[in-house]
Amino acid sequence: MMSARWRAGALLAAAALVAAGCRGGDDNQASTGDGGVKTDVGVTSEPCPEAVDQAKGCIYLGTISDLTEGPFAGLAVPITAAQKAFWKKVNTDGGIGDYEVDVTKFVRDNKYNPEIHNQVYQEIKGEVLALAQTLGSPTTAAIIKDLVRSNIVAAPASWTSAWAFEDVIVESGANYCLESMNAIDYAVEQSKPKSVMAVHYPGDYGDDAAAGAKIAAEANGLQFRDLETQSGQQNQGGAIDAIVSAKPDLVILTTGPTDAAVIVGQAAARGFKGRYIGTSPTWNPALLKSPAAAAFKAQFLQSGPWATFTSDTPGHQAMRAALGNVSGNDGYTSGWVWSYPLKAALQKAVDNKDLTRKGLLDAVKSLTSVDYQGMLPSGAGNYSGSAQDTVVRQNVISKPDDKSPTGVSTVKDFFVGKTAQGYAFDKPCFL
Amino acid sequence: MAGLTEVLRGRRLSGRPEFYTSYGQDMALLNTAPKRRAVAAIVIGAAVLPFLLTDELLQLLATGFVAAIGAIGLNLVTGYAGQVSLGHAFFLAVGAYTAAALSGDPDDRTIGFGITFLPLWLLAAGLAAAAAGLLVAPLAVRLRGLYLAIVTLGLVFLGEHVLKEWKQLTGGPGVGRPAAVPEMFGVRFDEDGEFFTAPQKLYLLMLVLLAIFAVLARNLARSAVGRAFAAVRDRDVAAAVIGVSLPRYKALAFAISSFYAGCAGALLYTVSGFFDPGSFNLQLSVLYIAMVLIGGAATISGSILGALFITLLPRFTRELPGVLPFVSAQSTGTITVFQIEAILYGLLIIVFLIVEPRGLYGIWIRVRNYWKSWPFSY
Amino acid sequence: MDEFLASLVRGLGTGSVYALLAVGFVIIYKAMRIISFAQPALMVTGAVLVSYLTADLSFWIAVPIAVVAVAGLALVVERLALRPMIGRPVFVISIITLGVDIVIRVVVNVFIGRDVRQVGDPWGLSTVDLGGVAVQERYLAMLLVTGAVVLALFGFFRYSRTGLAMRAASFDQEAALAQGISVGSVFAVSWAIAGGLAALAGVFVGTGGGVDQQTWIIALKALPAIILGGLDSVGGAVVGGLVVGVVESLVGTYQGEYAPWLGQNFAVVSPYVVMLLVLLVRPYGLFGTREVERV
Repeated sequence: MMSARWRAGALLAAAALVAAGCRGGDDNQASTGDGGVKTDVGVTSEPCPEAVDQAKGCIYLGTISDLTEGPFAGLAVPITAAQKAFWKKVNTDGGIGDYEVDVTKFVRDNKYNPEIHNQVYQEIKGEVLALAQTLGSPTTAAIIKDLVRSNIVAAPASWTSAWAFEDVIVESGANYCLESMNAIDYAVEQSKPKSVMAVHYPGDYGDDAAAGAKIAAEANGLQFRDLETQSGQQNQGGAIDAIVSAKPDLVILTTGPTDAAVIVGQAAARGFKGRYIGTSPTWNPALLKSPAAAAFKAQFLQSGPWATFTSDTPGHQAMRAALGNVSGNDGYTSGWVWSYPLKAALQKAVDNKDLTRKGLLDAVKSLTSVDYQGMLPSGAGNYSGSAQDTVVRQNVISKPDDKSPTGVSTVKDFFVGKTAQGYAFDKPCFL
Repeated sequence: MAGLTEVLRGRRLSGRPEFYTSYGQDMALLNTAPKRRAVAAIVIGAAVLPFLLTDELLQLLATGFVAAIGAIGLNLVTGYAGQVSLGHAFFLAVGAYTAAALSGDPDDRTIGFGITFLPLWLLAAGLAAAAAGLLVAPLAVRLRGLYLAIVTLGLVFLGEHVLKEWKQLTGGPGVGRPAAVPEMFGVRFDEDGEFFTAPQKLYLLMLVLLAIFAVLARNLARSAVGRAFAAVRDRDVAAAVIGVSLPRYKALAFAISSFYAGCAGALLYTVSGFFDPGSFNLQLSVLYIAMVLIGGAATISGSILGALFITLLPRFTRELPGVLPFVSAQSTGTITVFQIEAILYGLLIIVFLIVEPRGLYGIWIRVRNYWKSWPFSY
Repeated sequence: MDEFLASLVRGLGTGSVYALLAVGFVIIYKAMRIISFAQPALMVTGAVLVSYLTADLSFWIAVPIAVVAVAGLALVVERLALRPMIGRPVFVISIITLGVDIVIRVVVNVFIGRDVRQVGDPWGLSTVDLGGVAVQERYLAMLLVTGAVVLALFGFFRYSRTGLAMRAASFDQEAALAQGISVGSVFAVSWAIAGGLAALAGVFVGTGGGVDQQTWIIALKALPAIILGGLDSVGGAVVGGLVVGVVESLVGTYQGEYAPWLGQNFAVVSPYVVMLLVLLVRPYGLFGTREVERV
């Protein structure tokens, strides 16, 4: 019995010694890299796994996206692919200073669930300098406190107005709130509706757009009704019934593509003839092959933060060249555009010789403009002032088009309606 | 003789492992020396882990411990008492929102009363969920088997609906709200302190709570109540004949199980700090059923094993791309790690239930029996 | 009144889809006394198969092929995952079907991809005027097809030898075995029929808006239907399915006006409320047989 006890004790001690090796590594190791640039986490002097130039060091960026089963997986996969292509192009063009950027090693799926998002974030947190993508608003809200505490910059895959008030979030493009205002102003110009209904998902995706729609409707003297609907084909019955019975002249639609098809199609089948303007996540090229295609072509317009995939700006052309032969999808456009501010910030941080997390955050806060290669109007990418002064207020309107690979083509290029222009933006719209 | 005095005092003779000489000794929880040693080793090992593992593994383990509390609760009602319940997610939700509402910030968007004292909101969450369980219990008396399973499933859907509508409590789907704030005597467990980081503190807290809940459940299982549960499970008509009051014990089973679920729900989201009402759906209920069945029905250690296994599974599948070259970590490869994760979960459920119906605990028993009689095990 | 009739017809149409799914659940229950949670996966498989086949074949040929293929898949599932489990507790077997559901759905999701897939049905959104009420053609098609299928099933159970064997096996397995009925083939046939019905239901579910990765949840609506009707009654399943469809549709149309405090989209959970109410009165469903427990 004595020997058994000693044996057990020795085994335990051995196991403890082995396991002790696992601990550690969550303190920031500040160091100075090549060329005298200060670094702490997520930057190494070894080359990236798929490096173009083996002599350069590597900056690791993390990606947390909805890659398998959440409601936005349809967009998330092209967004992630576009970002991979973007940073690959950055690397081929010479990288950023003495470093190349890697967004492939730390990609995680969050299943659009805040707990999983937090778990995978904790997994990759110790190895990345910043997040190239964090998808979803409740999911990002689960980690925002930690992001702020650790000075980790993150590019969100969403356009809610709350991001304008967070320093660590580098959002791009007009948020849903201002987008709805512009959509209604455009519609007032074109077809003079008298009543507006906002059909939207709950949460800061849909609530943001609905809040903007309400503000614009009141500013234009239109009747307004708010209708929330849940995600899921079988849950749209209430929305369809409401649209068909209330017969609004204009519906601001902020849902996903499948539900949009059900709502637009079924309402049209029941005789609804009003018009729809939908946000860009509401659209999917496959909608033109659905039974509702005729209704979409007759009644639907899409508002968006930037022009569609097939447009002709230097940025769009570069994106198409980098992605090669892919079927058009505005998920690619979004992923591409969202990466520009991070690139500008990284460049600035390297120029300041401070590639620590704090250094990157300071670089972000000092950015007054970002070169979007024409994909966003000039003046966009200002992160140094208050939200009121710096938020992008312009939108693009597109219409369904069979001949375009993304299913839409631009009708009105960047414009800002008078409601959005005059709106005092001092807090997120949906609060 | 030393032997005689030992026998009279009711101690076991050394070298006679199964020889009990007093009732108390027989009924004791840790009645053999190897059991005592093994439990001590596990507890000491678990307590030492915070100094050995990285923070994110500790967070994962803390979540696993809380899931184990929930799994023990489900095991009490489904494994021990035989009442099939697919509604565990509902009770988790009741507990989670009671705790979050009690300890939430009163100035925030959502309901909050600012009572952050952990034992208080934990108890309140458990009691609220237990009350909900008592409301459901009459259904259990009236319905049997699969009818009860589907009805509890219906409870989950109704609960989902209420949570999605009650924006002031839950923040609404797609927005969510902060979780309960674990604070005790001025020490905040979800923020780093001087000596311990937040994950370390949370881990130790969850370990202690799990130990308490597990011992309580184990005691319950070997008490008269536990025996009554087993009678209800095996042949409830016969149990009623010998005097086990069916309504009473079914109600008790649901109430206790819901208490555990409520406490687990309250603690579950303190690790990530934020939660969304869309989490309390059928998939969450199935997750706990999987924990119970894969771990081993009607065993407490089985529930803990199952909970830890299911919680750590996604983490391990994420390590696969490093080991198997054809599994892609990207989202666009032919076989992605995310699909493997999802398929593995389903396959494990199927394989475990077909091959080893007693679950992980059953596997442990087989291993132990093999070594008990080695080299004569056949 | 028009609104009521339109809502009623819509409810009957969607209810017939639920009825198809519910009959599938009940047939498996009658044979094996389990609830097969794999029906949602089979439903989606059928819809996705048709969406691929209609690229080359006519819709009317693609649907029977898909139905037969999914019936075959169900047979494989039964043989591999369920045959070894005979004699085990029913709840455990039901959870195994849940595991099967997860696995099949992951595989099918790969084929669905990110977009919505259309099943290529000939009805689209066209409506027909029935006595002043505009009714979508696809609802009429659903009702007709479901009616035909249910009649065929009743005929099968009543007049064919296999149907008789299935009825005998569901009544008393041991006696059936003693009479020389191969209970194993009864299990296989019931799974095949259930799989085929699920595939058919899936095709109809896809006619409205297409099928995507979230469509499988619709199959769970059949659960209140089978509880309402009684777990072991095929007729009860049909009635239950129609009731669930009609209740959902009517609540959706009128709840906003009369009871907005119930929240938006209460129609989605209204079948479960109805199920609970029915169970309070009749714990074995409207047409289910009371279990007699012998000790």
